[in-house]
Amino acid sequence: MLSHFTKKHSLMFSLPALLAILPFLGACLYILRFSFSAEEATISGFSLNSYTELANAYFMRSVWVTVKLAGISTFIVMMLAIPLAFVLVTIQSPVMRRALTVIVLLPMILNLLIQAYGWIILLGPSGVLNSFLRQAGIIQRPLFLLFNEKGVLLGLVQTALPLAVFPIVSAIRAISKEQLEAASSLGASHWRIFFDITLPLLKPGLLAAGSITFAYNASAFAIPLLLGGRRVQMLGVAIRDMISPLFNWSGAAAGGVVLIAITTGVLFLASWISSRQTSKMEAG
Amino acid sequence: MRVGLLPSENGGTYRFVMLLLATLGVLVAALPVVVVVIMSFSASDMPSFPPEALSFRWYEEVIAMLTSSDASSAQSVPSSVLTSIVVASAVMVISVAACVPLAYAMARSGRSMRAGMELLFTLPLVFPLVILGIAFLLIVEGLNLDLGIWRLIIPHVALVLPFVLRNCLSAMSGVSVEIEEAAISLGASPLRAIVDVVIPLMKPGILAGLIFALIISFNEFTVTFFMYTIDVSTLPIWMYSRTVSSLNPSVLALSVFIVAADVLLIVLIDKIIAGKANLF
Repeated sequence: MLSHFTKKHSLMFSLPALLAILPFLGACLYILRFSFSAEEATISGFSLNSYTELANAYFMRSVWVTVKLAGISTFIVMMLAIPLAFVLVTIQSPVMRRALTVIVLLPMILNLLIQAYGWIILLGPSGVLNSFLRQAGIIQRPLFLLFNEKGVLLGLVQTALPLAVFPIVSAIRAISKEQLEAASSLGASHWRIFFDITLPLLKPGLLAAGSITFAYNASAFAIPLLLGGRRVQMLGVAIRDMISPLFNWSGAAAGGVVLIAITTGVLFLASWISSRQTSKMEAG
Repeated sequence: MRVGLLPSENGGTYRFVMLLLATLGVLVAALPVVVVVIMSFSASDMPSFPPEALSFRWYEEVIAMLTSSDASSAQSVPSSVLTSIVVASAVMVISVAACVPLAYAMARSGRSMRAGMELLFTLPLVFPLVILGIAFLLIVEGLNLDLGIWRLIIPHVALVLPFVLRNCLSAMSGVSVEIEEAAISLGASPLRAIVDVVIPLMKPGILAGLIFALIISFNEFTVTFFMYTIDVSTLPIWMYSRTVSSLNPSVLALSVFIVAADVLLIVLIDKIIAGKANLF
């Protein structure tokens, strides 16, 4: 450590970044405080009304749709992300690896609207899939894949895929090659190596990837808004509706706190499981 | 070659299933973007696939929209592009100016300070964007703040901080204390050592951070959706307002420009940090 670099210096150097993140922290606290407000449109007094009013069939169904879609999409994402990560690690040619990295990364950083346009063209009543199936004579009437849960699910899988692939890639880079080699030299089949050795070794990475995917998709907004129409009321959209047509601000804040509780709950659960696993492995 | 991940021979069903799922993953990731690019060349008004005839008419329309001098309405394309660029530039400068000193302090301080800061600056990454948008909206409306363009810059800075900081940190990890001490022992002041020795060595990380900030701010939709006003509105919001009822092919042509810019920027980041750090 540099001798002249003291605590005071360290604080001074951190100050600009702390100032930059301050509005974010303020926003977190503000929404927490608003959710306990006794009035709908302003902060005044303390009350749990906003929370008790959430206990209606409409909001509960929205929680259920959110947890269901986030859960299913996480499962599908993991099924696709593990093989994709294997391919990314195995590819030898740098050009191919770079191309694949860009393709996998794109859904995460590209404007969500453009991806929604793509799904609308692909899945719409006169879209790519329907006209292909009709020409092939498989269907007579178009399949309705848009503005329902199926379309939203596809959009969620696509936009969350990179979030899962890259942590798994780093997890694969961290496991030792010798363990896999030992297993294959002992004559274990590929499937046995995969289920008995590779997957358990990757477990902390998979838990991290899965929980991030779940949290990201549970708080999705643009995808259900654009691909779900009014019919798929995931929490993000339901909370928006409390603000925009209803002006129930404290209710929206309370709904937001519920959503944050769900996502951070899953993230903590995953890190707790994986830390218990490592301490068990170290003890045993 | 890693044994057991993807066998190149005698893989049997294992290899087949893995490659099939990986291909499916690539298709899911890429198909929406690919059809947007194809349809932008369609000659007809109604998007039907495959396009019956090809043309550049939507591109001509986009160029006409971009160059139109009708700046009277704030909802026009040129003004929303301009707002997007101003916001993204401010976000780039502010986030890098905040993260470079922080990354330096984190690398040169104790472990507990480092861990605490890392946790604090990961928060925006896991915080639901909708809630963030609503929270900022409630603050600005509730306190009646008149922030102008800062109502977009402030939340965008919070969103890009985790990405910029990560790049600056990985750049700092390559700058050893010895180099800095050597500069000081040769008579440079500590501040001079940072400005003339440390920052030039951090350049690749700083550049990658700048580009990340640009990409994220320019493509941001969710938080901006809550914060925009008639006077301060970005390109994604303009695209949303244009397509809320039906898809307009000229928006697809505009999308192709954005896709091309994004791909170019990621390839650039990948080149800059080539092998020295992970993209994520």
